[in-house]
Amino acid sequence: MIIRRRKAGTIGLNLTSMIDVVFLLLVYFMVATEFKTAEESFPMDVPIRNHGQTLALDNEPLVILVESSGVGEKEIRLRLEGPWDPISSLNALSTFLRSNKAGGFGNSGLFTENHPIRIKPTSDTRWEHAIATYNIVVGANYTNISLDEPL
Amino acid sequence: MARRGIPSSAINANMTPMIDVTFLLIVFFVVVSQIVDRDAVPLDLPAPTQAASGIPDSAEHVTVNLVPIAGGEISGIVVGGHTVAVDAMDELTSIVNTRLQGGATDVHLRADRATKYLYIHQAIEAIRAVGTSPRMQLVVDGEYR
Repeated sequence: MIIRRRKAGTIGLNLTSMIDVVFLLLVYFMVATEFKTAEESFPMDVPIRNHGQTLALDNEPLVILVESSGVGEKEIRLRLEGPWDPISSLNALSTFLRSNKAGGFGNSGLFTENHPIRIKPTSDTRWEHAIATYNIVVGANYTNISLDEPL
Repeated sequence: MARRGIPSSAINANMTPMIDVTFLLIVFFVVVSQIVDRDAVPLDLPAPTQAASGIPDSAEHVTVNLVPIAGGEISGIVVGGHTVAVDAMDELTSIVNTRLQGGATDVHLRADRATKYLYIHQAIEAIRAVGTSPRMQLVVDGEYR
Protein backbone atom coordinates (compact mmCIF):
# COMPACT_ATOMS: atom_id res chain seq x y z
CA MET A 1 0.00 0.00 0.00
CA ILE A 2 1.36 3.38 -1.01
CA ILE A 3 1.14 6.08 1.61
CA ARG A 4 1.18 9.61 0.19
CA ARG A 5 2.92 12.28 2.13
CA ARG A 6 0.77 15.28 3.01
CA LYS A 7 1.94 18.56 1.58
CA ALA A 8 3.38 21.00 4.05
CA GLY A 9 0.88 23.83 3.13
CA THR A 10 0.48 27.06 5.14
CA ILE A 11 -2.54 27.48 7.42
CA GLY A 12 -4.90 30.16 6.02
CA LEU A 13 -8.49 31.36 6.40
CA ASN A 14 -10.86 30.40 3.63
CA LEU A 15 -12.08 33.81 2.46
CA THR A 16 -14.36 32.60 -0.32
CA SER A 17 -17.60 32.41 1.67
CA MET A 18 -16.98 35.78 3.33
CA ILE A 19 -16.40 37.41 -0.03
CA ASP A 20 -19.60 35.80 -1.34
CA VAL A 21 -21.63 37.32 1.48
CA VAL A 22 -19.89 40.69 1.21
CA PHE A 23 -20.60 40.91 -2.51
CA LEU A 24 -24.22 39.96 -1.93
CA LEU A 25 -24.53 42.79 0.60
CA LEU A 26 -22.83 45.20 -1.79
CA VAL A 27 -25.17 44.30 -4.65
CA TYR A 28 -28.20 44.56 -2.34
CA PHE A 29 -27.33 48.07 -1.14
CA MET A 30 -26.38 49.24 -4.63
CA VAL A 31 -29.76 48.12 -5.97
CA ALA A 32 -31.81 49.26 -2.97
CA THR A 33 -30.28 52.70 -2.57
CA GLU A 34 -32.20 55.65 -3.92
CA PHE A 35 -30.40 58.94 -3.77
CA LYS A 36 -32.37 61.86 -2.48
CA THR A 37 -32.69 64.59 -5.06
CA ALA A 38 -31.56 68.07 -4.16
CA GLU A 39 -34.76 69.73 -3.02
CA GLU A 40 -35.29 73.21 -1.70
CA SER A 41 -38.36 74.92 -0.35
CA PHE A 42 -40.18 78.18 0.25
CA PRO A 43 -41.47 78.49 3.82
CA MET A 44 -45.05 79.72 4.08
CA ASP A 45 -47.17 80.36 7.13
CA VAL A 46 -50.68 78.96 7.16
CA PRO A 47 -52.40 80.90 9.92
CA ILE A 48 -55.72 79.67 11.26
CA ARG A 49 -58.61 81.46 9.62
CA ASN A 50 -60.58 83.59 11.99
CA HIS A 51 -64.26 83.39 11.11
CA GLY A 52 -65.37 85.77 13.79
CA GLN A 53 -65.20 89.54 13.88
CA THR A 54 -62.05 90.75 12.23
CA LEU A 55 -60.36 94.05 12.67
CA ALA A 56 -59.71 96.16 9.63
CA LEU A 57 -56.33 95.54 8.09
CA ASP A 58 -53.75 98.25 8.53
CA ASN A 59 -52.50 97.64 5.05
CA GLU A 60 -54.61 96.72 2.10
CA PRO A 61 -52.89 93.61 0.72
CA LEU A 62 -51.34 93.67 -2.71
CA VAL A 63 -53.13 91.00 -4.74
CA ILE A 64 -51.29 89.43 -7.68
CA LEU A 65 -53.52 87.53 -10.09
CA VAL A 66 -51.79 84.68 -11.92
CA GLU A 67 -52.94 82.68 -14.92
CA SER A 68 -51.25 80.14 -17.18
CA SER A 69 -51.47 80.93 -20.88
CA GLY A 70 -49.60 77.81 -21.97
CA VAL A 71 -47.41 75.02 -20.73
CA GLY A 72 -44.10 76.84 -21.18
CA GLU A 73 -42.19 78.25 -18.27
CA LYS A 74 -42.68 81.83 -19.48
CA GLU A 75 -46.28 81.44 -20.65
CA ILE A 76 -47.82 83.22 -17.71
CA ARG A 77 -50.22 86.16 -17.40
CA LEU A 78 -50.04 88.46 -14.39
CA ARG A 79 -52.24 91.27 -13.20
CA LEU A 80 -52.19 93.43 -10.10
CA GLU A 81 -55.49 94.17 -8.40
CA GLY A 82 -55.86 97.91 -7.90
CA PRO A 83 -54.77 101.07 -9.65
CA TRP A 84 -51.46 99.73 -10.88
CA ASP A 85 -50.00 99.71 -14.35
CA PRO A 86 -50.31 96.39 -16.21
CA ILE A 87 -47.56 93.88 -15.57
CA SER A 88 -46.44 91.91 -18.60
CA SER A 89 -43.95 89.41 -17.24
CA LEU A 90 -42.29 88.02 -14.13
CA ASN A 91 -39.37 90.37 -14.69
CA ALA A 92 -41.75 93.34 -14.76
CA LEU A 93 -43.33 92.12 -11.51
CA SER A 94 -39.88 91.87 -9.95
CA THR A 95 -39.05 95.42 -11.03
CA PHE A 96 -42.41 96.69 -9.72
CA LEU A 97 -41.97 95.04 -6.32
CA ARG A 98 -38.37 96.19 -5.91
CA SER A 99 -38.97 99.77 -7.03
CA ASN A 100 -42.06 100.20 -4.82
CA LYS A 101 -40.39 98.90 -1.69
CA ALA A 102 -40.07 101.32 1.21
CA GLY A 103 -36.56 101.65 2.50
CA GLY A 104 -35.15 100.48 -0.79
CA PHE A 105 -33.21 102.40 -3.40
CA GLY A 106 -34.30 106.05 -3.27
CA ASN A 107 -36.59 105.22 -0.34
CA SER A 108 -39.67 106.28 -2.26
CA GLY A 109 -41.60 103.02 -2.08
CA LEU A 110 -45.08 102.27 -0.84
CA PHE A 111 -44.75 98.77 0.54
CA THR A 112 -42.85 97.82 3.64
CA GLU A 113 -41.04 94.52 3.88
CA ASN A 114 -43.94 92.89 5.76
CA HIS A 115 -46.68 94.37 3.57
CA PRO A 116 -49.22 91.56 2.99
CA ILE A 117 -48.92 90.15 -0.52
CA ARG A 118 -51.50 87.65 -1.71
CA ILE A 119 -50.90 85.53 -4.76
CA LYS A 120 -54.20 84.56 -6.33
CA PRO A 121 -53.87 82.06 -9.18
CA THR A 122 -56.84 80.77 -11.18
CA SER A 123 -58.03 77.18 -10.65
CA ASP A 124 -56.31 75.98 -13.82
CA THR A 125 -52.98 77.72 -13.21
CA ARG A 126 -50.03 75.36 -13.39
CA TRP A 127 -48.23 74.95 -10.05
CA GLU A 128 -44.91 75.97 -11.61
CA HIS A 129 -46.38 79.34 -12.57
CA ALA A 130 -47.76 79.95 -9.07
CA ILE A 131 -44.39 78.99 -7.60
CA ALA A 132 -42.52 81.19 -10.12
CA THR A 133 -44.61 84.17 -8.95
CA TYR A 134 -44.01 83.24 -5.30
CA ASN A 135 -40.30 83.05 -6.06
CA ILE A 136 -40.29 86.57 -7.53
CA VAL A 137 -41.98 87.99 -4.42
CA VAL A 138 -39.58 86.16 -2.10
CA GLY A 139 -36.68 87.35 -4.26
CA ALA A 140 -37.83 90.96 -3.75
CA ASN A 141 -37.42 90.36 0.01
CA TYR A 142 -41.06 90.51 1.06
CA THR A 143 -41.90 88.32 4.03
CA ASN A 144 -45.67 88.31 4.40
CA ILE A 145 -46.76 86.23 1.40
CA SER A 146 -49.75 83.94 1.14
CA LEU A 147 -51.38 81.82 -1.53
CA ASP A 148 -55.00 82.86 -1.84
CA GLU A 149 -58.00 80.81 -2.84
CA PRO A 150 -58.27 80.28 -6.60
CA LEU A 151 -59.98 82.90 -8.71
CA MET B 1 25.78 28.85 -4.94
CA ALA B 2 22.85 26.97 -3.53
CA ARG B 3 19.56 27.39 -5.44
CA ARG B 4 16.44 27.36 -3.42
CA GLY B 5 13.51 25.36 -4.72
CA ILE B 6 10.26 27.18 -5.51
CA PRO B 7 7.54 26.13 -3.01
CA SER B 8 4.90 23.98 -4.58
CA SER B 9 1.93 25.97 -3.15
CA ALA B 10 -0.80 27.36 -5.47
CA ILE B 11 -0.55 30.91 -6.74
CA ASN B 12 -3.02 33.15 -4.81
CA ALA B 13 -4.25 36.65 -5.53
CA ASN B 14 -3.82 39.09 -2.67
CA MET B 15 -7.40 39.61 -1.45
CA THR B 16 -6.72 42.24 1.20
CA PRO B 17 -7.09 45.46 -0.89
CA MET B 18 -10.18 44.13 -2.63
CA ILE B 19 -11.86 43.36 0.69
CA ASP B 20 -10.84 46.79 1.99
CA VAL B 21 -12.49 48.53 -0.95
CA THR B 22 -15.55 46.31 -0.83
CA PHE B 23 -16.14 47.00 2.85
CA LEU B 24 -15.74 50.72 2.24
CA LEU B 25 -18.39 50.52 -0.50
CA ILE B 26 -20.74 48.59 1.79
CA VAL B 27 -20.33 51.12 4.60
CA PHE B 28 -20.97 53.94 2.11
CA PHE B 29 -24.20 52.38 0.82
CA VAL B 30 -25.42 51.49 4.31
CA VAL B 31 -24.95 55.09 5.45
CA VAL B 32 -26.40 56.66 2.32
CA SER B 33 -29.46 54.43 2.19
CA GLN B 34 -30.51 55.64 5.63
CA ILE B 35 -30.78 59.28 4.68
CA VAL B 36 -33.19 58.72 1.83
CA ASP B 37 -36.51 60.40 2.44
CA ARG B 38 -38.85 57.47 1.93
CA ASP B 39 -41.94 59.66 2.18
CA ALA B 40 -41.08 61.48 -1.02
CA VAL B 41 -42.76 60.27 -4.20
CA PRO B 42 -40.74 60.89 -7.41
CA LEU B 43 -42.25 64.01 -8.99
CA ASP B 44 -41.30 66.56 -11.62
CA LEU B 45 -41.11 69.44 -9.16
CA PRO B 46 -41.23 73.07 -10.29
CA ALA B 47 -37.79 74.57 -10.80
CA PRO B 48 -38.03 78.38 -10.76
CA THR B 49 -35.18 80.26 -12.40
CA GLN B 50 -32.99 82.28 -10.01
CA ALA B 51 -34.73 80.54 -7.15
CA ALA B 52 -34.82 82.41 -3.84
CA SER B 53 -35.67 79.17 -2.07
CA GLY B 54 -33.57 77.71 0.72
CA ILE B 55 -32.62 74.25 1.89
CA PRO B 56 -35.21 73.24 4.49
CA ASP B 57 -33.79 72.58 7.93
CA SER B 58 -33.85 69.04 9.19
CA ALA B 59 -36.86 69.54 11.45
CA GLU B 60 -39.16 66.59 11.73
CA HIS B 61 -41.73 66.92 8.99
CA VAL B 62 -44.64 65.27 7.28
CA THR B 63 -44.51 65.13 3.49
CA VAL B 64 -47.69 65.64 1.48
CA ASN B 65 -47.30 64.45 -2.14
CA LEU B 66 -49.87 65.28 -4.82
CA VAL B 67 -49.57 62.40 -7.31
CA PRO B 68 -50.15 63.74 -10.83
CA ILE B 69 -51.98 62.26 -13.79
CA ALA B 70 -52.31 63.74 -17.27
CA GLY B 71 -53.79 67.18 -17.76
CA GLY B 72 -52.80 68.70 -14.43
CA GLU B 73 -55.22 66.48 -12.49
CA ILE B 74 -54.16 64.38 -9.51
CA SER B 75 -54.90 60.73 -8.79
CA GLY B 76 -54.56 61.10 -5.04
CA ILE B 77 -52.45 62.42 -2.20
CA VAL B 78 -49.70 60.28 -0.66
CA VAL B 79 -48.91 61.17 2.94
CA GLY B 80 -47.08 59.02 5.46
CA GLY B 81 -47.59 55.80 3.53
CA HIS B 82 -51.32 56.40 3.06
CA THR B 83 -53.01 57.34 -0.19
CA VAL B 84 -55.84 59.79 0.23
CA ALA B 85 -58.49 60.22 -2.48
CA VAL B 86 -59.00 63.68 -3.99
CA ASP B 87 -62.50 63.96 -2.53
CA ALA B 88 -61.48 62.85 0.99
CA MET B 89 -59.57 65.85 2.26
CA ASP B 90 -60.82 65.23 5.83
CA GLU B 91 -58.63 62.14 5.84
CA LEU B 92 -55.60 64.25 4.88
CA THR B 93 -56.37 66.62 7.75
CA SER B 94 -56.56 63.78 10.27
CA ILE B 95 -53.32 62.10 9.05
CA VAL B 96 -51.39 65.39 9.15
CA ASN B 97 -52.89 66.13 12.56
CA THR B 98 -51.72 62.75 13.89
CA ARG B 99 -48.20 63.32 12.57
CA LEU B 100 -48.04 66.84 14.01
CA GLN B 101 -49.11 65.52 17.41
CA GLY B 102 -46.36 62.92 17.03
CA GLY B 103 -43.71 65.64 17.00
CA ALA B 104 -43.53 66.89 13.41
CA THR B 105 -43.34 70.68 13.08
CA ASP B 106 -43.23 71.23 9.31
CA VAL B 107 -45.45 70.14 6.44
CA HIS B 108 -43.64 69.67 3.11
CA LEU B 109 -45.95 70.14 0.16
CA ARG B 110 -44.69 68.44 -3.01
CA ALA B 111 -46.58 68.73 -6.28
CA ASP B 112 -45.81 68.23 -9.95
CA ARG B 113 -45.12 71.38 -11.94
CA ALA B 114 -48.18 70.79 -14.14
CA THR B 115 -50.64 70.27 -11.27
CA LYS B 116 -53.58 72.67 -11.29
CA TYR B 117 -53.60 75.22 -8.49
CA LEU B 118 -57.13 74.11 -7.55
CA TYR B 119 -55.73 70.90 -6.00
CA ILE B 120 -52.82 72.69 -4.32
CA HIS B 121 -55.27 75.03 -2.65
CA GLN B 122 -57.48 72.13 -1.52
CA ALA B 123 -54.42 70.50 0.08
CA ILE B 124 -53.34 73.75 1.76
CA GLU B 125 -56.85 74.27 3.15
CA ALA B 126 -56.93 70.69 4.45
CA ILE B 127 -53.60 71.31 6.21
CA ARG B 128 -54.85 74.65 7.56
CA ALA B 129 -57.88 72.82 9.00
CA VAL B 130 -55.53 71.04 11.42
CA GLY B 131 -55.80 74.18 13.51
CA THR B 132 -52.29 74.40 14.93
CA SER B 133 -50.80 76.51 12.09
CA PRO B 134 -47.78 74.36 11.19
CA ARG B 135 -44.94 75.80 9.12
CA MET B 136 -45.45 74.86 5.50
CA GLN B 137 -42.60 74.29 3.05
CA LEU B 138 -43.40 74.52 -0.67
CA VAL B 139 -40.87 72.09 -2.14
CA VAL B 140 -39.12 72.90 -5.43
CA ASP B 141 -36.32 71.32 -7.40
CA GLY B 142 -33.00 72.83 -6.38
CA GLU B 143 -30.81 70.81 -8.72
CA TYR B 144 -30.51 73.27 -11.58
CA ARG B 145 -29.33 76.32 -9.70
